Amino acid sequence: MKRKSLAAFLLLMPLGLGAADVQWVLQQSMLTYHVSHPLHQFDGVSHAARGKGVCHAGQCDFLVAVPVKSFDSGDSNRDLHMIQVARGAQFPMVTVRFRLPEDAASQSTIHVDLDIEFAGQTAHFKQVPFQKVTQGSDAKISGTIPAKMTDFKIDPPSLLAIPTKDEMPVRVEMTWRTM
Amino acid sequence: MLPRIAKFVSGVALLLLPLLISAPVQAQTASTLSGTVTGPSGTAVSDAKVSVKNLATGQSTEAKTDSAGLYNLPNLLPGEYEVSISAEGVGSKTARVMLTAGVAQKLDVALAAGTEPSLGDLGFTPDQLKGNAQDQARLDKRSHMLKIHQRLGLITLAPLVATLITSNQAAGGKSTASGRQLHAALGGVTTGLYLTTASFAVFAPKISGTPTRGPIRVHKALAWVHGAGMILTPILGTLAYNQRNRGEKVHGIASAHGAVAATTGIAYGLAVLSVSIKF
Repeated sequence: MKRKSLAAFLLLMPLGLGAADVQWVLQQSMLTYHVSHPLHQFDGVSHAARGKGVCHAGQCDFLVAVPVKSFDSGDSNRDLHMIQVARGAQFPMVTVRFRLPEDAASQSTIHVDLDIEFAGQTAHFKQVPFQKVTQGSDAKISGTIPAKMTDFKIDPPSLLAIPTKDEMPVRVEMTWRTM
Repeated sequence: MLPRIAKFVSGVALLLLPLLISAPVQAQTASTLSGTVTGPSGTAVSDAKVSVKNLATGQSTEAKTDSAGLYNLPNLLPGEYEVSISAEGVGSKTARVMLTAGVAQKLDVALAAGTEPSLGDLGFTPDQLKGNAQDQARLDKRSHMLKIHQRLGLITLAPLVATLITSNQAAGGKSTASGRQLHAALGGVTTGLYLTTASFAVFAPKISGTPTRGPIRVHKALAWVHGAGMILTPILGTLAYNQRNRGEKVHGIASAHGAVAATTGIAYGLAVLSVSIKF
């Protein structure tokens, strides 16, 4: 009887584990926005993003947030200008929400619908491709979000009265770990 | 007397008429969002925070649920809204809803513990999450003043270059009275524009907690050179101008006018380049 119970437990255990809520936590990140100006180009980098994903009933809901003022372009004057145009003092966080099926963890390329809240506006990006590499319990995700300033009603900042280009692609490199 | 009172009353009535008309119109166009928030077991959740954000305007409105889990958000403009519901210790959820003019929309929300992470789960401090309209206004003012500083700075380049070019007619063997007058006049315009330009940078609001990094450091360091030069140059120029008009050869401290002006011009040009070219 004991043997039968043990066998039944061992058989059912994987199913039970599969149904349990899995959580993902963002371990490391590098977010880089790129801005082009006729006189030069610059990148702003942040390592301050935090994120969490909760899987339930086959779906995982993710939230990533990063303070606007954490982006560093190597020039404090330019960073303050970017914070100003992005209304970063009034809306201090950039938040990204997305939902993935739990089995997406097994794919090497994942296409994600993103809801990004930035500068007090929410923009939706459909089917953004991300590459995924699994290393142990870590999943390394990389990709580029094709953002534009006008997606968030941001007036392109100007230098010497010349505005930057509207395109502001954001390179994403993140390491997630299951808990 | 009576016709005057009648005129006054009809005038007031005319002024109030748009208000009287607009109030019912606004009531017709506004929408209401209401509903019930329940927890994982189906029981009503009181004191849950319900926040709606108009996706077009970015304007947010908040309400809390009562003891029966009910919330009510009246006077919302028609449009698409993001609804965020969170209850301490229960869970959180976001949803989208489209509100139509004059239609009361119902949105019942069942919170399931841990289904969607919230900003509170990420460990940011409340200060990091809270926006500050005053700080934004300070940043806006700073950027506005620095934009004017940049534009005036570029405009100042024109009389500055012209002043340097006309220096040939003001000094040396080819010097003429009219050449000196033109040079002095252009120098005066340059100094006036320069001081106006500088004032927009000097009086722009400072943002505390932001150490100066990058090419702007070079720009600021060069300002000490051309700033001092822009004060000295007209003083030395006036001395040189008076000496030449008296038929004397430029002598003493006034003979440094040309060198100081050239140094000032070069420092000014480098200051413009320091923020225009990525080093």
